[in-house]
Amino acid sequence: MKDTLGQLSVIFDDVFDEPGVQINRSTSAEDIQNWDSITHVTMVLAVEREFQIRFSSSEVAKLQNVGELIDLIDRKIKR
Amino acid sequence: MSTEHVSLLMEYLIKKHPRSRRGVEEVIQVSPARFTEIAEMFLGWLFKARGLEGIHSAADAFVQFSTEVNLAQARYEVDGCYPSKSFADVYADHYSDVDKMNDYLWGIYLTNFLWAHHTVISLLYADAFLSKLPKSGLIVEIAPGHGGWGAWALTVLPEARLQGFDISPSSIQIATSVARAAGVSDRSHYEVRNALDLSGMQKESADGLICSFLVEHLEKPEQLFAVVNHLLKPNAIGFVTAALTAAQVDHIYEFRFESELVKMCENQGLRVLQTLSCGPSRTQPNARFLARSMALIVQKRRGEVF
Repeated sequence: MKDTLGQLSVIFDDVFDEPGVQINRSTSAEDIQNWDSITHVTMVLAVEREFQIRFSSSEVAKLQNVGELIDLIDRKIKR
Repeated sequence: MSTEHVSLLMEYLIKKHPRSRRGVEEVIQVSPARFTEIAEMFLGWLFKARGLEGIHSAADAFVQFSTEVNLAQARYEVDGCYPSKSFADVYADHYSDVDKMNDYLWGIYLTNFLWAHHTVISLLYADAFLSKLPKSGLIVEIAPGHGGWGAWALTVLPEARLQGFDISPSSIQIATSVARAAGVSDRSHYEVRNALDLSGMQKESADGLICSFLVEHLEKPEQLFAVVNHLLKPNAIGFVTAALTAAQVDHIYEFRFESELVKMCENQGLRVLQTLSCGPSRTQPNARFLARSMALIVQKRRGEVF
């Protein structure tokens, strides 16, 4: 069974369509060319569907990198 | 042309909010010289009112607001309807919250030149509306929000006066601070008042009227156009903007077609002289809806009977 990072890797491959990009906790929009304000929301919605959770707009706006996203997902899943 | 304040904003946005880079590059391409002219004007007032920290916090607010808009639009694609149904709910959840309103208004302030399609609307405002207003006289601004549109008008028309009315105390405070920074506070007056109560004001008193992105926040938008008709002098013009199939937490009335707005104007005794409808170039994949912003230049009809 994949961990959160592994599940996110599949989503990032699908949404950002940048083959060869390996994500880790420090990966941010500076590392992925297609990670802009629109694809960010596309990715967030895919994460919501995958993990059966829902984010607020301020949570979505504040996310700076993959690590923060993982922590947020894990907090919501544990609730 | 100075680019001092634009540089301060761009450096911060790209460093702190790299997801905004593509949008910023897009907006500059619309019209590089005009973008700089408009952005410097707005940012110069912001810097004068709130300093460098003001530019930074407005940039944060812009990113928060844009994310909120993009997320609401994505959820609208799924739900097929706007999230809010009544003005009372929106007032309780948003307009009465001072901190939320401050961020909201400064975020919107930056969209006038940081959203590419809103830059196009700003150019129309300057070229097809402000340029046609009389040099002196009264401009009424309904729901000024941040006050940037009105301050711009008074800067271009050095003998004009402006009265602005907004339901939010935060708006009055921010609009007043922007007017002060723009050096036009002696010719502007803002007060807390419901836009739909303005029918009590003197009929046909406005030589020009501005109403930016209010109509979609109302339950019965045709009432607003009746107020516009009441206030405008015969043949005076108004600049009205509206959002169509554009979900936001505080949008209530769902305009689907540009013709709905034109018809509402015509039914309330206005003629529509010019329209512009535009939307963002980037949307969610397979989006059903295109969030559009529409600007209308309207004129009060004078005794035109058919």
